[in-house]
Amino acid sequence: MWIENPLSTSPTGFAVLECFHIAGFALAIGMTALVDFRLLGIGLHKQSPVQIARAIEWWTLGGLVVAVFSGLLIFSTDPDMYYLNWPFLIKMACLALAIAFNYTIHKRAIFRPWAPGAARLVAGVSLVLWVSVIFGGIFIAVVRTGLT
Amino acid sequence: MILAFLIWLENLTLFSSLRSSAYAYPVVLALHLTAISLFGAMIVASDLRLLGWALSGSSIGDVLTPLRWPKRFGFLLAGTCGFLLFASKAEEYYYNPFFRAKALLFVLVAVHALAFRSSVYGNPAELDGAAQRPLAKLAASLSLLLWLGILCVGRGIGYVAGRPGMHYR
Repeated sequence: MWIENPLSTSPTGFAVLECFHIAGFALAIGMTALVDFRLLGIGLHKQSPVQIARAIEWWTLGGLVVAVFSGLLIFSTDPDMYYLNWPFLIKMACLALAIAFNYTIHKRAIFRPWAPGAARLVAGVSLVLWVSVIFGGIFIAVVRTGLT
Repeated sequence: MILAFLIWLENLTLFSSLRSSAYAYPVVLALHLTAISLFGAMIVASDLRLLGWALSGSSIGDVLTPLRWPKRFGFLLAGTCGFLLFASKAEEYYYNPFFRAKALLFVLVAVHALAFRSSVYGNPAELDGAAQRPLAKLAASLSLLLWLGILCVGRGIGYVAGRPGMHYR
């Protein structure tokens, strides 16, 4: 017996989910970027990277949780399309890397200060990974090919 | 008159080729969202500091002042991408109720900026005193609401399709 996913038949529900998704990832990625920009010497320079990281920690996690849960619901509307779609698979790989990087190497570079060159590299990698996730998300609707 | 201008605009080579391109259009869209994320968070961080919900160990000036120019740069980047997206479908956007709502919210953002410029954003050094705090919190709350509104109606734009026969006249 099949039960219709109400989100698949309601454009309004889907659009509202997307708003939560965008607001969530914008908060998570943007707050992380505040630390990355600090490591690159842009923006907040009166605070140490540690102070910024502590201040944004829960906002980042909150944004990430909202983005992931709204993303799971978006995924539920058309799972066979998503899991066969190249941009989606690349997006998920970048997301997994970005989250792992954020809570390991990125965290270390902030809390046990590294040489400025190494810290800038870490900031650059972090920004590139998170921005790739955004690009992957947009291209899901553009590139409709993938695994068969 | 406005509509004639918008139809002329969207048929300029740059915008008509952007509209019909397979990859340039989504790249501009992704850059628009990237700018919103990276620099929108600077607005949120400033507002959270004004509300006292983040970075409250720093003075307000030490949060707002260093973010002023990066925020302007981000607004320029998001705005440029947004203009490219708009100009390539200008006629369609003219009729789009979500685009109209977004334009209206931007007018309110301008009003907000003018209204709070002298009292809040213009002199962050004086905001740490207790007397200024309610006004700063009001400005920050309104700012968060306006930008969240812009984000939501912005997403809505994509849900209203243009009528057949638009473009390429």
